[in-house]
Amino acid sequence: MTAVLQRFVIAYSRSLVAYGIVAVLWIVASLLITGFGVYPHLRYIVELAAVIGLVGVGQTIAVIGGGIDLSVSAVITVTALVLPMVSFESDSSGLGAIALSLLVAAAIGAVNGLGIGYLGLPPLIMTLAMATILQGLLVLIAGGSAISVSNATLESLGSTHVLTISASILLWLVVAAICLFWLHGTRSGALIFAIGTNPMVSKLSGVPIRRLTLATYIISGLCAGLAGLLLLSMNGQGYVGIGDPYLLSSIAAVVLGGTSILGGRGSYLGTIAGAVLLVTMTALITVINASEGWRSLILGCLILGMLPLSGRDQSR
Amino acid sequence: MGGKGARLYWRVQWRRNDGLGALFLVLVLFAILYAILFPGIFAIGAASKFVQGWFPTAMVAAAQTIVMLTGGIDLSVGPMVSLGSVVAASTMEGPLGIFGGVLAMLALGGGVGAIVGAFVAIGRYPAIIVTLALSFVLRGVALLIMPRPGGFVPRSLSDFLAGVHPTAAVLLVLLVIVWKLYQATPLGVGLIAVGDNAEGAYRSGVNVTTARMCAYIASGILQGFTGLYMAAKTGSGDPLIGEPMTLAAISAAVLGGVGFLGGQGTMRGALAGSLLMSIMISVMFFLHLPLVAQYIMQGLIIVVTVALPLIRASMRRGT
Repeated sequence: MTAVLQRFVIAYSRSLVAYGIVAVLWIVASLLITGFGVYPHLRYIVELAAVIGLVGVGQTIAVIGGGIDLSVSAVITVTALVLPMVSFESDSSGLGAIALSLLVAAAIGAVNGLGIGYLGLPPLIMTLAMATILQGLLVLIAGGSAISVSNATLESLGSTHVLTISASILLWLVVAAICLFWLHGTRSGALIFAIGTNPMVSKLSGVPIRRLTLATYIISGLCAGLAGLLLLSMNGQGYVGIGDPYLLSSIAAVVLGGTSILGGRGSYLGTIAGAVLLVTMTALITVINASEGWRSLILGCLILGMLPLSGRDQSR
Repeated sequence: MGGKGARLYWRVQWRRNDGLGALFLVLVLFAILYAILFPGIFAIGAASKFVQGWFPTAMVAAAQTIVMLTGGIDLSVGPMVSLGSVVAASTMEGPLGIFGGVLAMLALGGGVGAIVGAFVAIGRYPAIIVTLALSFVLRGVALLIMPRPGGFVPRSLSDFLAGVHPTAAVLLVLLVIVWKLYQATPLGVGLIAVGDNAEGAYRSGVNVTTARMCAYIASGILQGFTGLYMAAKTGSGDPLIGEPMTLAAISAAVLGGVGFLGGQGTMRGALAGSLLMSIMISVMFFLHLPLVAQYIMQGLIIVVTVALPLIRASMRRGT
């Protein structure tokens, strides 16, 4: 038993550091700031973290596989705008519109995956170009106006509580569990780590790199789409630029969670803590009532300060 | 340089154009289209204006290229340019004057570059996350110095840098010359060697830490100067003026064949990439296309120029 525990601690030490920081921050802040440590506030923090966490699912898988997805923010915006547009009368529950917009998100991810896996484009370039194209298309289609949404399922997602846990948090938990099981409990999940560690050796060993890369980016698109829906349920309306903050925060959550940006190492377990950590830091900065300049400055310094804790690039 | 050495030099230089063919072709096509749409470009004034429009993108593309050649990436280019513009616009009316202001700018750029370098080269942290965090810091500092656009840049400096004279063109030529000279020094050779194979470079006696450090400092100075230039061009400082430049710098470098893994790519490619983006925007303006359509074009051109050689290569292999 201790051996298993020991192995777990060694394998996930970087992820555990992030959990430790979150715990320390929460305890200290609860003692110093009245109203921080109460359950509804902490739950609110986790609700906000769910959006970053959902984007982080795809981002984590992409990064572990040696890639990166820079189009997540654009996909979030696309879903948040497509859903109100495709809502139709006969679809009273709103599930049809949700399925359609998730399909669009997955399709964008599939195009990324085809370009990266089958054409051999570098992930940074393919997803960056995709983000640029989508940005242009979105402004052309939606313009500068916000689009309000009325979708029964989304509204219940934003307001339902099961045993005082919000539906959005439950959604995150379910997706997180599936992701963790896939990455650490299945053969294809293990192969993602193999591709990230050494693509050439993986290819020569017969790993179906192309198919797995395609799957990776479809998952990433789908998860960004889910995050977009969640964001929409919180905001009530979609507009161009709604997803913009989530590109950098998803990458930051992945790295703060101890996943190596070079690929092959890490776990979604850490990204969960990274997402909560980011939101907690933002909340703390908001509490001390800082101006926008100070907020940005402090957040940046905090991420820089965490670098020594989240591990470094050993290769020369 | 002897006859044989010179021949070898040019042959190596020529081979480095490999893979840039598609880019140069697209560039020429767009340039012809531009010249047809706007024949006035051949006047010296119009040409200067055009170069001035291109100059900031070219500078940040160069800054990004230097870093990417070492195997790093700089996600704080935009906020650094903003900070440069803000600092330039708030120091020049003080006791420092124009000369002091320019010096302060260059020192600021070099200083920020040194900070990134310390984290990446000495601390060995991934550049992507260091510069990502730093972009928040720089944006915050710029907003604290100047919450909204304002400040003042002396008229004479604006006239000198962004007036009717082809100063920007001269500066670009200077940039290329300095780059060529730098490439002739051991540090310059080390820059690309480090990006290509850090372990090998280290074993061959390249001071890896210094080479990386110098790259980030040089990149920071270029970015700071771009900020100064933007301030001179608009006549004031703006804490958000650089925001689109992070992506533009990466796009231009990538268009120009600079690889993300380091050691791969050329400065001429990156400059050509930035020129293509600049011409593209002008052409779309003359064709009365909505300005946002440039994003779609930019994305498509990036994919096509990068994918074409890959497709050709795989067809040649017959797979």
